[in-house]
Amino acid sequence: MSKPEASNDPFDTLRRLIDDWEKRIDGVANQVMGTDGFSLAMNKTQNLGLRVQKGVRDAMASHLKNINMPSRDDVIRLGEAVQAMEQRLARVEHLLEVTAKGAGNQGPRSGPPRTRKPPSQRGGQPT
Amino acid sequence: MSSAQQEAPDLGNRVRTAVDRTIQRSIKGLDYVLGPMTEVGLTPKDVIYERGTLRLYHYHPMADEVYRVPVLLVMATTNRGYVFDLAPGQSMVEYLLKEGFDVFVLDWEAPRPEERNLDLDDYTFDFIPACIRRIAARTGEPDVSVIGYCMGGVLSLIYAAGHTDGPLKNLVCLTTPVNWHEFGLLRRWTDPSHFDVDRLVDTLGVVPTDFILNGFEMLRPAQRTAGRIRVWDNMWNDAFVRSYRAFDRWTTEALPLAGEYFRTTMRELMWANKLYTGELRVAGQQIDLANIKVPILHTIAEHDHIVPYTASKPLLERVGSADKDELVLKGGHVSLIAGPNAVRRMWPAVSNWLAERST
Repeated sequence: MSKPEASNDPFDTLRRLIDDWEKRIDGVANQVMGTDGFSLAMNKTQNLGLRVQKGVRDAMASHLKNINMPSRDDVIRLGEAVQAMEQRLARVEHLLEVTAKGAGNQGPRSGPPRTRKPPSQRGGQPT
Repeated sequence: MSSAQQEAPDLGNRVRTAVDRTIQRSIKGLDYVLGPMTEVGLTPKDVIYERGTLRLYHYHPMADEVYRVPVLLVMATTNRGYVFDLAPGQSMVEYLLKEGFDVFVLDWEAPRPEERNLDLDDYTFDFIPACIRRIAARTGEPDVSVIGYCMGGVLSLIYAAGHTDGPLKNLVCLTTPVNWHEFGLLRRWTDPSHFDVDRLVDTLGVVPTDFILNGFEMLRPAQRTAGRIRVWDNMWNDAFVRSYRAFDRWTTEALPLAGEYFRTTMRELMWANKLYTGELRVAGQQIDLANIKVPILHTIAEHDHIVPYTASKPLLERVGSADKDELVLKGGHVSLIAGPNAVRRMWPAVSNWLAERST
């Protein structure tokens, strides 16, 4: 058996250490994070954060209502109305395209000819 | 010559290389820290359709003669589509264009708050069909091949199973999860016994980027730190740094998800595994993968830590296609589509497979 070639770079040991460190940390972390206890704790923390966020948002909405200003939900509702119009426009656009195509008014955009043959039919081997 | 004499110049070279690289690290490290973001997605294209979160790109052809059937790449909803076009020479789009394909990419922008109600139905029975109609109008061709990456593959599968008499001619899935019960840690963290998806979606509307990104990063918590040390070590190597920065930008630019879409994905796919069992219903239709009869190629990454091998492996056994192939490659979730193995093996394999079926 041939001896492994000596490395040319003095940083090689450091690189191997980093590779090992990464594997070990990922392995240990995955073991810990794979437990039910971790999932439970993570989701409890997340739920707490969401509750706080909802509380702050509700309080802010009520404050904005009191001073006669639109809340985030009001702005989102406006956005939804715009989105509905956008969808309706898309449907109209599609219908117009279908109608134009039916009337022969719209052809494909010009470009290279769509006649290319696969390598096997051109006498070549697939790469 | 004695071995001591031979080793002396060797040692000299090694010291010289080490000193040279240390100097380069210092000089280029400054560029790395202070320089602008790496430019990505540079292949020339037109945006031919945009609507809310959806963007459809048509890339300028790079061959004098193209295959009859255009190709639509469908990006995963969690990330930006420029992973298909990271940099010249590291771009699947550029490769396919040079091989003579007419290439379109369906990309996503962050869903706006008012798009929180977008659901699987919208993505698979509205967005994808709308894009395919536009491709047909632009090319004049009734057929299209679809390439879906990760969740983009799932959307493509649902589209294919729900439009069996549609214009789909070929389907390529890249590391696409089918058996969601094999998701390992991600499934454990989102177990219905302690993960309250309703509270999350009802409170936030749109599931934020941080939530998505943290979930992915927690799968390999040391990866980012180790990656930074490696990039410092390779700071003298311009190609390495360029590639690292492009990948780094892509992974950190994850997208938020529309709340209803996230809720359905959790309930129907992650918890009930309905894509696998054939019980999924989208837009009132039963989505059974066995209804997919078009030629299909599935590419799987052996060491994918996001979509595990066992989650994507069963795809071919579930579809009803007679013409089906599988390509298993070494590598991970991202390197599969833009890493060295992608350049050497995946892109040529996909191109050859499609070429035979695109006339």
